[in-house]
Amino acid sequence: MDQQQLAHLYASILDTDPDAAAAAAQAVVDGGVDALEAIHVASEAITKVGDLFECGDLYLPSLMLAGEAMKRSMAILSRTIGAEQASQNKGKVVIGAVSGDIHDIGKNLVATMLSVHGYEVVDLGVNVPPMEIIDAAQREHARFIALSALMTTSMPYQRDVLDLLCEMGVRDRFFVIVGGGPVTVEYARMIGADGWGASAVSAVKVCDRLLQSNEKPPVQSTFLQK
Amino acid sequence: MALNRDRLMDVLDKAHKGPIVKQFDWDTRVIPGTIADKLKKYGLQKSCDPANPINQDLELADRFFEAGLEVATEAGMLCTDTQRAIRFSREELLAGLATAPAAFTLGEGKETAHFRHRSISDPISPIWISPLSIAVTEDVFEPLVVGIASVPEVDCLEGPSFETIWGASLRAGSPYELLAGKMQAERFYSAISRAGRNGIGLYAVATSPTHYGVLGGYGVPGGYKPERDIVLVLSPVEIKTSYENLMKLAHAYNCGGRTYGGSWSMIGGYAGGPEGAALSCIACTIMLYNVYQCVNGASFPYDLKTMGNCGRQALWALGLVFQALSRNTHICANSVLNQTAGPATECLLYESAVGMMTLGVCGASSCTGPRSAGGKYTNFITPLEVKFAGEVFKKCAGMSLAKANDIANCLLPRYEHELGHPPKGQSFKECYDLNTLQPTDEWRKIYDKVKDEAIAAGMPLS
Repeated sequence: MDQQQLAHLYASILDTDPDAAAAAAQAVVDGGVDALEAIHVASEAITKVGDLFECGDLYLPSLMLAGEAMKRSMAILSRTIGAEQASQNKGKVVIGAVSGDIHDIGKNLVATMLSVHGYEVVDLGVNVPPMEIIDAAQREHARFIALSALMTTSMPYQRDVLDLLCEMGVRDRFFVIVGGGPVTVEYARMIGADGWGASAVSAVKVCDRLLQSNEKPPVQSTFLQK
Repeated sequence: MALNRDRLMDVLDKAHKGPIVKQFDWDTRVIPGTIADKLKKYGLQKSCDPANPINQDLELADRFFEAGLEVATEAGMLCTDTQRAIRFSREELLAGLATAPAAFTLGEGKETAHFRHRSISDPISPIWISPLSIAVTEDVFEPLVVGIASVPEVDCLEGPSFETIWGASLRAGSPYELLAGKMQAERFYSAISRAGRNGIGLYAVATSPTHYGVLGGYGVPGGYKPERDIVLVLSPVEIKTSYENLMKLAHAYNCGGRTYGGSWSMIGGYAGGPEGAALSCIACTIMLYNVYQCVNGASFPYDLKTMGNCGRQALWALGLVFQALSRNTHICANSVLNQTAGPATECLLYESAVGMMTLGVCGASSCTGPRSAGGKYTNFITPLEVKFAGEVFKKCAGMSLAKANDIANCLLPRYEHELGHPPKGQSFKECYDLNTLQPTDEWRKIYDKVKDEAIAAGMPLS
């Protein structure tokens, strides 16, 4: 019975079905199945989804739905054993497209890939003013701030976030990573970002490397991932 | 043709009273679900044929159009500010398309650009609008625009865009954009006068993606002129609009101006693979002409992996979208060509050759480009690639789809391996003499070499 319930949970995430994933997680809890084992199974499923996306066998909407399925099942499973124990969490990321920018596809892609790879993501959406991003990062006790800009006219707001963090004396509390179509390696270095990635996959690698570095923000040299 | 107030008010009404659809549901269920349903219903799945990058099956293009019309009817266009879907009936959508002009003009005097609906392999010369909104420094803007406006193949101007305004960072959604709207028009008028191209039509406002540039620069004294210039209304993916876009529309109405409606769909994005992206583009184009009453524009596909549309899958989808629009509407459809390599590289010119040829033979009325170096780097745009792209676009008019497909298959192997990691190339300052506005010998030789190879492949460029 345990294996059947765990198989349902795995399948519901792989099927990118949030409602089914929530129901499967509740069945796991109601059935007294080991929640930690269930979390392990759910993580395997979401990793598989991420792999399928990277191979081009799944597209963005499926990835987003699988991320939602994972989020909802984790919320149920973690209630039974406590968030701390349940957490596969590498750290909390506050993400948004900065002021004036309403492009969301790249930001959604990065948010979902981070979520799939064990980061807790707080998505602020698009057109988010710098101070609002910092307020959210402080409120959420985030480890990372991820800033997306798809237009040259929104890129200055990435710099504003970094400048504001310095002016407010809280720069050392957050790793700041930047990305987006016109955001180059050189620009990331110039504004003092801790990391830059060319794609959603590289954003995950940058965050992982920043965590593994044991450095404190701001890092000595920007972590870059083509 | 002025914008119709009743239609404008109807769109605003629908944006506030249409069915509520949350954006997450739109992105993850409505769009992918509707597109998957129609691909299946019309047997369009797996129809992309990378071995034939220019689609030869025109009945397939017609089926895509029918399916796109159903997607547009069932999904509509999401207004992200109100989280409501703007929907029309099939009959209303077709009636809206029917009101779009089959021909119109931009610019004035001897520089008047005559846009016309084009059929497949149409010998009518298409319109070349150049360049895209690539950021440049203020010192480069005027010499670059003089250089580009001096290219005879260029019919209208859109970019480049300013990186700064009087030395200050240009910030989206800020008062700087209001100032930049008028500043760009003034600097354009100065440059086109120096180039001897007074009267050339302008697309407003490349520098400012939000509505503020249009409010500050279109129809104001000294700014863009509604009687000859056109407002860019660029919708976010996937088939969405926003108050920003609708404010541009309202401002164009107030000024007695006209609108260009543009959008795109990414292969690998919300719509799925190349077939889904093509279908989404067709549906989106139908919505653009109904929501914005535009006289020019369309939605075009590009590839999320390469961030361009000159690879095989993207070319197939691009050509198919414009074949479908050409055969089933009378609109003046415009595409954007997104190259990935930078100036002074062979790759950029090969991308341009195949991409522009594809659009030229598949019925596009006009094209806006190039997006040299993917638009990523400041000052990475030069008049020489503008000239080359324009030459190909115009001289390939009239070519058969079969011949274009053969040429594409001949040239694609020369550059497609570079699309994942395209060469950055050189900036305008590096490969041009800014005083004489002539390219360096190195850049000229690259141009000559690729042009010779394109001619050898069968392009009528000599």
